Amino acid sequence: MTTAAHLEEWTGENVSVALIEDALADLRRESCEDTEGPDLRTSVMTHIAWVPPEWHKAAWATLEGMAERHPSRAIVLVPGGADDDEDLDALVQVAAFSLPGERRHVAAEVIELRLGGRRARSPGSIVMPLLISGLPVFCRWRGSLPFGEQELEELTGIADRLVIDSREWDDPAADYARLAELFDRVAVSDITWRRTLPWRVALAHDWPEVGRCTELAVKGPSADAHLLAGWLRSRLDRRVRLAGEAADEVESVAVDGREVPRPPTEPVSSSDLLSAELETFGRDRVYEAAVTAARRE
Amino acid sequence: MAQTPEPCVLVVFGASGDLTKRKIYPAIYALALRRLLPENFAILGAARSDWTDEEFRHNMEAAVREFGRDEFRGDVWERLVEATSYIPLESADEEALDKLASALTELDGARGTMGNRVYYLAVPPVAMPQLAQALGKMHETEGWTRLIIEKPFGYDQASARELNELIWRHFKEEEVFRIDHYLGKETVQNMAALRFANGIFEPIWNRQFIDHVQITVGESIGLEGRAEYYEKAGAIRDIVQNHMLQLVALTAMEPPSDFTADSVRNEKVKVLRSIHTPGPKHVVRGQYGRGYVEGIEVPAYGEEPGVDSNSMTETYVAAKLFVDNWRWADTPFYVRTGKRLPRRETTIAIQFKRAPHPPFAEAAAEELRPNLLTIHVQPDEGVSLAIAAKVPGLGVRLRTVHMDFVYGGAFHVEMPEAYERLLLDAMRGDATLFTRADEVDEQWAIVDAIIAAWKRDRPAFPNYAAGTWGPPSADELLHRDGRSWRHH
Repeated sequence: MTTAAHLEEWTGENVSVALIEDALADLRRESCEDTEGPDLRTSVMTHIAWVPPEWHKAAWATLEGMAERHPSRAIVLVPGGADDDEDLDALVQVAAFSLPGERRHVAAEVIELRLGGRRARSPGSIVMPLLISGLPVFCRWRGSLPFGEQELEELTGIADRLVIDSREWDDPAADYARLAELFDRVAVSDITWRRTLPWRVALAHDWPEVGRCTELAVKGPSADAHLLAGWLRSRLDRRVRLAGEAADEVESVAVDGREVPRPPTEPVSSSDLLSAELETFGRDRVYEAAVTAARRE
Repeated sequence: MAQTPEPCVLVVFGASGDLTKRKIYPAIYALALRRLLPENFAILGAARSDWTDEEFRHNMEAAVREFGRDEFRGDVWERLVEATSYIPLESADEEALDKLASALTELDGARGTMGNRVYYLAVPPVAMPQLAQALGKMHETEGWTRLIIEKPFGYDQASARELNELIWRHFKEEEVFRIDHYLGKETVQNMAALRFANGIFEPIWNRQFIDHVQITVGESIGLEGRAEYYEKAGAIRDIVQNHMLQLVALTAMEPPSDFTADSVRNEKVKVLRSIHTPGPKHVVRGQYGRGYVEGIEVPAYGEEPGVDSNSMTETYVAAKLFVDNWRWADTPFYVRTGKRLPRRETTIAIQFKRAPHPPFAEAAAEELRPNLLTIHVQPDEGVSLAIAAKVPGLGVRLRTVHMDFVYGGAFHVEMPEAYERLLLDAMRGDATLFTRADEVDEQWAIVDAIIAAWKRDRPAFPNYAAGTWGPPSADELLHRDGRSWRHH
């Protein structure tokens, strides 16, 4: 993680979007005053993060590790408050990072918005004015997806790509079926899917035996287990029973009772995992098929 | 360095109105702060309100404190307050004019303003003809006179011509300054700098390289108490007739031989004359229903105070325009404006044609978008260029990145408000950023033709929800051509 060379910050309570735009413009100007020449704004996306309060700390830790790699505007939406609460509180930051061999800095912008109860139901109309023109929009949704609710409908209508981590869900097996309904509307990335990659590679090395698989035993998180099973079912086009045993990380995988050699893995930070998803465009058909098959025995 | 105007009196008619409070007087203060006003200068407010000089000064001080872009400075205000006075005017009859003439003569003596006058008509359209005629009759023989006229200039082509005829009876065209405040915005002026001061853009600024142009003038606000005006004007008279067509003209015009008023306006009027009147299939109108803006539910247009619930006034217009000349033949200019759109945004987006044969695998370039040059008029004033770049790494993966020039970041100065520039130019007699009679006439010709076609049917309003980008038919307008609106 790189520390910002300098950081300008503004906060406001019960603000309007116009005030946030003004604050951003002021911060950019102030940021330039600390640098030789204006900061470079080489944005590659608008990154929306839907962050219920219980995910707040984790979301900021991830963001802080990403700013210099994905110069962008991050809009962190924190829903909460009473139903009749209409407040919109904002924290706006412009962070400037040094570049090797460059006297000028590259700027990243973060706008955190705390949405009162009623505002939280219609976040699309708050986010739209703040998107960077002409660039893709990624939406990282922390926690479970509220299928059928207005906030999810609106943000998936705006985003080019929805990034989730199905490990964060209470009941991934049940939610995969609902997730599949979104695929025609928005491209979806799942950080858990990325985590399963070393195990998928290890299973592929088991070819041709793995092609006759009837049962997959996974000791690990439920989401990882279901995605691995769904992947095998969809790739092999055959029924594969899943025998799951809960663990915090995938500890072992067995095909019809045979242990698959544990792949070499290195610890990857949440920023690295998200960063990898932010470099992916278009639909991931293999993932979509795995999700669709995740509930099928 | 800006040239300081000659001594003069600025007479603001409609001095108790919203425009004076929000824009005109704060602009005068900003000019005073920067010492851009002449030493011998006076401001005379005139309106129906029965105010004294003291009350006017008090109200203007409050206006500067609330709406000014600078910190309030006592020493600047002291200078300005000495120059500020007020005259209540019930009407533009002979008695009132005598009163005004005496006040002006007195100011000439006291302030040394030499008979030079700038009359700013910040009054409703209905009061414009009588006032212009009255001022014409008292046209000073000593010193110069300039007449600043706020939009809307007329209600249609016929009324605009009538108003011009009336004005020309008393004033020469070079004495008339028709304001379209968009032309005073830095970014609009920067359009000329971008095109004509850079060698790289003008050679590709044509039908061979540009796929199409999109111009958006979006407002997220609703009526804000302007129901009486807006019900009569609608989006087409409020925005399309003036701001929108001026932006089209500035984007499409040929390079002028110099940057004098007539050279620039000659080129703009050529563009306006070349705009093909759009047929009914190329124009979409809409009116907003209930919806969400900034997360709050807002009422439908028909539910706004002062609006007839069965109103057929349009709050949204989109059109496909063609500039029929050698440079732009068959290149569509898609324009749209509306109230209660998702964001306040005025942009001119030039979308270039795709590279004819990108020699990369399809997967490497799946997220590539065409090159887009976006001129942000407001907010985030500046220019951005979307280009394809290779994602660092061992493979070849391409991605669209943005190169941004943001005024606030590149120049460590605050940008002047449009009214500051325009007021200063009018005092100096520079009409480059004001619209000429023939431009107004051509703009009305286009708008009148569209309105005439609208009279043949009655659309089902409302047809878009507040907080969305307009009616579905506006999307279809572009989908038919295999294109789509920029949504962010």
